[in-house]
Amino acid sequence: MEVRASQDTEPLIELVVNRVVEDSNTDTRIIVLARTDAAADHFMVWVGASEGEAIKRALDAALTPRPMSHDLVKSFGEHFGIKTERVVLTDVKSSTYYATVFLENKGVARTIDARPSDAIALALRCHAPIYVTQDVWRRRSGQNLDAWLSKLETKEV
Amino acid sequence: MITQMQVKGLMFDPYNNAYIVILRDEDQAEMLPIWVGKSEASSISLALENVAPPRPMTHDFMKSYLDAFQAKVISVVITDLAENTYFAKIHLTYADSEYTVDSRPSDAIALALRSQAPIFASESVIRKQSSEELDQWLENLKPEDFGKLDS
Repeated sequence: MEVRASQDTEPLIELVVNRVVEDSNTDTRIIVLARTDAAADHFMVWVGASEGEAIKRALDAALTPRPMSHDLVKSFGEHFGIKTERVVLTDVKSSTYYATVFLENKGVARTIDARPSDAIALALRCHAPIYVTQDVWRRRSGQNLDAWLSKLETKEV
Repeated sequence: MITQMQVKGLMFDPYNNAYIVILRDEDQAEMLPIWVGKSEASSISLALENVAPPRPMTHDFMKSYLDAFQAKVISVVITDLAENTYFAKIHLTYADSEYTVDSRPSDAIALALRSQAPIFASESVIRKQSSEELDQWLENLKPEDFGKLDS
C-alpha cells in the first residue's frame, strides 16, 4: 500500500533506522536510515549526542532502569489511547530536517511538528513507520556520504 | 502531606560532572537538590529563563504532544527517594478524566515549567534527604559553582 502525504502528492518513501554512528569529532550522532524498498542509498540525519542515544536505546531495545523522555511520551499515549500512526520527514532547509508526527485517538487525527530526532525516537518506541517525502529524499545532503561514513566507522574500530 | 516547591536554579556539580536542580519551598525552609543529566539540565534552564530555542527541545515536543489532544498537566510530585534516586509522578487531565503517569523528576520538572503547573515534593522525600550530607557537600562548593542560584 502506498502512503501519500496528501492525495495529490507523490508516494512517500519508507525508511528504517539502520544504525546510529558516533561522530567523535563533533560529539554528534548520525542516524543512518535505509529504504525499505531495498534501494542501496542511505539517508542520514545529524542529531545531538543525547538525542542519538535515545534513538540507539530504542534500536537496541535497551531497557533503562528509569523511563527516559521518549518513554514518557509513549506512556502518555498508552494512558490516553493515543496512537502514533507514522512520522514523516517533511522538509529540509539549510541542511536542517523537519518532521511531522501523525497521531490518532478515537478517530481524531492530529499532527505535530518535531525535530527528526524526537519523531524517530518516538516512532521506534511505538513501532510506527518512518517516511520521507520524495522531495526531501532528492534534496538529502551529499551523495558521497556513504564513503565518508564507512571511513568514519573504520576509524572507530 | 506534600509541599509546594519552586525551582530556584541550577548548579553544576563538578565532582560528579552533573547538574543539580535546586528546589525550595516557599518559606525557604526546605531544600531539595535533584541531580540531572546535561541535556535535562539545559532543557530545564531554557524553560526557567523563558528562552525559546531555535528548534523545539524534547520537552517542547512533549508539550506539543499533550496540547494536540488538549491534555493538561495539573501538577507534578516528587514522590520518593530510594538509593539516591528520586521518583516523580505527573498528574494530568485528558478528556474529563484524571491520569497519573510515572516519570523521572527531570522530565516532570521540565514539563511542569512549560505547563505553568505547580511542583510538589512529598514529605517523606524531604525528610529522607539527608540534610547533614548536603550541608557538608555545600561547604565544599566554591562560590563560582553557584551559577544561577537565586539569581
